[in-house]
Amino acid sequence: MYRRLRTARRITQLVFLAAFVLLFALATYPPKTRLPVDLFLRADPLIAISASVSLRKLIFPLVWYALPVVVLSLLLGRVYCGWICPMGTTIDICERALGIRGKRPAETPGWSRVKFYVLIAMIVTMVLPAAHRSTKEWGITDTVGLSAVYLMDPIALLTRTFTWVGLPAVQWAVGMTSDTLTSWSESDLVLEHPVLDRALYPVQAALSTVARQPPPYFRLGLLTFAVFVGIVALGRYANRFWCRNLCPLGALLGVLGKASPVRLAVSEKCTRCMRCVNECKVGAISEDPHKYRGPECVGCCSCLAVCPENAISLTTGHEDTGREDQVRVERRRVLEAIGCGIAAVVLPKVDWGTRRTEATEKVLKVSSARLIRPPGALAEDEFVTACVCCGECMKACPTNTLQPAFGEGGLEAVGTPIVVPRIGPCTQACNQCGEVCPTNAIASFSVEEKDHLYLGTALIDRSACIAWAADRQCLMCDEACSYDAISQETIDGVERPVVNEAICVGCGVCEFVCPVEPMGAIRVYSSGDRRHWTREEQREMRQDAEQERARGSPYPSV
Amino acid sequence: MSKDAITRRDFMRRALGAGLAACGLAELGGFGATDGASAEAAAGSTIVVASRKDPAGLVRAAVGALGGMGKFVKRGARVLVKPNIGWARRPEQAATTNPEVVAEIVRLCKQAGAREVKVMDHAVDRPDSLILKMTGIESAATKAGARVRMASSPALYEKVKLRGGKVLKSADVLRDMRRADAVINVPIAKVHNATRLTLGCKNLMGTVLDRGAWHRSDLEQCIADFVAEFPPDLVILDAIRILLTNGPKGPGRTEDKGLVVAGTDSVAVDAYAATLFGQRAERIQHLKLAHAMGAGEIDLERIRIRNV
Repeated sequence: MYRRLRTARRITQLVFLAAFVLLFALATYPPKTRLPVDLFLRADPLIAISASVSLRKLIFPLVWYALPVVVLSLLLGRVYCGWICPMGTTIDICERALGIRGKRPAETPGWSRVKFYVLIAMIVTMVLPAAHRSTKEWGITDTVGLSAVYLMDPIALLTRTFTWVGLPAVQWAVGMTSDTLTSWSESDLVLEHPVLDRALYPVQAALSTVARQPPPYFRLGLLTFAVFVGIVALGRYANRFWCRNLCPLGALLGVLGKASPVRLAVSEKCTRCMRCVNECKVGAISEDPHKYRGPECVGCCSCLAVCPENAISLTTGHEDTGREDQVRVERRRVLEAIGCGIAAVVLPKVDWGTRRTEATEKVLKVSSARLIRPPGALAEDEFVTACVCCGECMKACPTNTLQPAFGEGGLEAVGTPIVVPRIGPCTQACNQCGEVCPTNAIASFSVEEKDHLYLGTALIDRSACIAWAADRQCLMCDEACSYDAISQETIDGVERPVVNEAICVGCGVCEFVCPVEPMGAIRVYSSGDRRHWTREEQREMRQDAEQERARGSPYPSV
Repeated sequence: MSKDAITRRDFMRRALGAGLAACGLAELGGFGATDGASAEAAAGSTIVVASRKDPAGLVRAAVGALGGMGKFVKRGARVLVKPNIGWARRPEQAATTNPEVVAEIVRLCKQAGAREVKVMDHAVDRPDSLILKMTGIESAATKAGARVRMASSPALYEKVKLRGGKVLKSADVLRDMRRADAVINVPIAKVHNATRLTLGCKNLMGTVLDRGAWHRSDLEQCIADFVAEFPPDLVILDAIRILLTNGPKGPGRTEDKGLVVAGTDSVAVDAYAATLFGQRAERIQHLKLAHAMGAGEIDLERIRIRNV
């Protein structure tokens, strides 16, 4: 009977991983589904807590989605880790496929506490005031915390590994296959063949609907891949090293699971053959097989399945069964974790990236000239706080313009999305990043609103521009501008482009199409970023600019 | 070496033609057209202007008046249809070719016995998937039996030397255009910020990989060079709804003209289409240059216009 339970667990794992991959694949524009494609991120209690605590308000969609996982953990312990978590399943599959067998099957008590210290450090970063907030909530608090969970939250980590590594790899392969088939289909053999030509086309057509051209790529791909390889490779020390020792979500669910009434009980039939100890995925069973550590057990049911004597059983209630619920953290290490949390808040502030322009009283704008955030993004400090760097927006972005930041936003913003216009424009008809963002760091917006969500401003480098510097006819920027923000001025018989800064929202299509290589003579800079304004204020600005233009003033005041 | 010499002579001859054209002699009665091909075009340039029908009817009438699709598309031919699918805009915004026009052309090609009809364009905008969906061309043309594909992959292009090009000496050209038995250019008539108008000749820019190079050198001359080297077999210009302001992408003011202009002479079709905007073709630099290079007739007096 318990063997079936293990089989059921394995099937459940595969189903949830398949659902994760499917939802990931469905995060596209135009959208193919009404399902919340960021479901796994929304249902992650750590992300919900982090976003709510660090932003000092309950982020409701997150709270509702995460609640079932919390209830599940209160009832059954860490079954999320054993049955659902796509990261855990991915590690299981990788370990099995690569034949990785940990040296230490049994408990590694010293290491297993690390995840609790990680959790503590992260809670410290959420609670401490890390930055001012642009709008006051409740009139009491005007600070936001720092969200460090993005570093180690398993769902965010896996999603960004999928986006930054998996997606480009798959798309590259699809693109190469598609190109190869195209060259075959143009060969005389196929062209003249009555069947081959017709047979090849449906395959080509199918591939070209999947293939994105050019294939997407991301700037932090290799680093992310290295982290993922490291996580899997740690399994050589102990299987699922990540889950048992490092994962802060596992730590959180383990603490919640102390309340669970479901327990394992070992009867007198036990012969101490130690098979359960060896089979336990996370080393929860101690040297004495009659005892196990509750906050470690992920409910994988392997022990139940392998016991040759059927000595292990599931029971409910509060009788003493050998489950140890206490998490033995060391005071010194806890203090160190708190110190790390404080350092994580303070240290980025000494980084060059935090040098900011002051916009209004206590409201800080952006640091780097090329820090262009997606439309709908919260004001910079709140944005960095809310973003968990899951990469879902970058997956959904159809033009590949959304890229993880390096240093544009400072140390605390590495990996957060920025618009890189030279790679692709923020296309006018798309609003998908706002739809898929699990924490609403990119608040949802409509396509109609895009003409007044100011990301930045395009500036023309007249010393490089073909029309300005070389007196040639070009105006590609004007041609491609979706918002009619570029006008022409005829000087010495040559038409030269001029940007209307009150109308330009910084979508970057001009920079994308500019024929001046390599970096374009028209470039989007963060000077026009107006995220710290309300949408109403931005809409009024757009209307005023339109009116002023209708009156015939070529250079409206910004 | 001998090949080189011919090229140079050819070049000189065409340069002379362009020079005379620039002197304004062309306007005095076609003296600028010293090139043989141009004289030929001048003698037989016929265009058809179809009006007062639904889009599919306009196409049928225009192609019928030119002698039917069978004249251009032989049985078993491979056809490339090149509409304007350049922007993520809806059909009613008149920035891209009317999907019904494209679909009807595909149907006519199929009826003429075409083995394969490809509908391709190299868009300026991104992303391809969105452009295909918004313009409505993908669904309409696919239903009509075409193979629709956006030509974004560099693997679809091949480097071609333009022997007669004055500025454009070589280009990465869509391989499908080079290999097709018939190329049908299906532009939409729009104003253009840089070239005043974008009609048939300019629409051919969507068959090259690196358009930036044209802008960096001499846009108008490159367009002329290209159309002189790769004249399409048939031009069917969509002037059902034309874009009058903020072209070529729009959105701008549009006007419903309800016309389809067709012909085999790219410059002649464009020259007529220019009048729809109240412009003289001689003021459209690339048309003037293309005419000078012998790509077609620009003088409306010398173009036979059939209204159907």
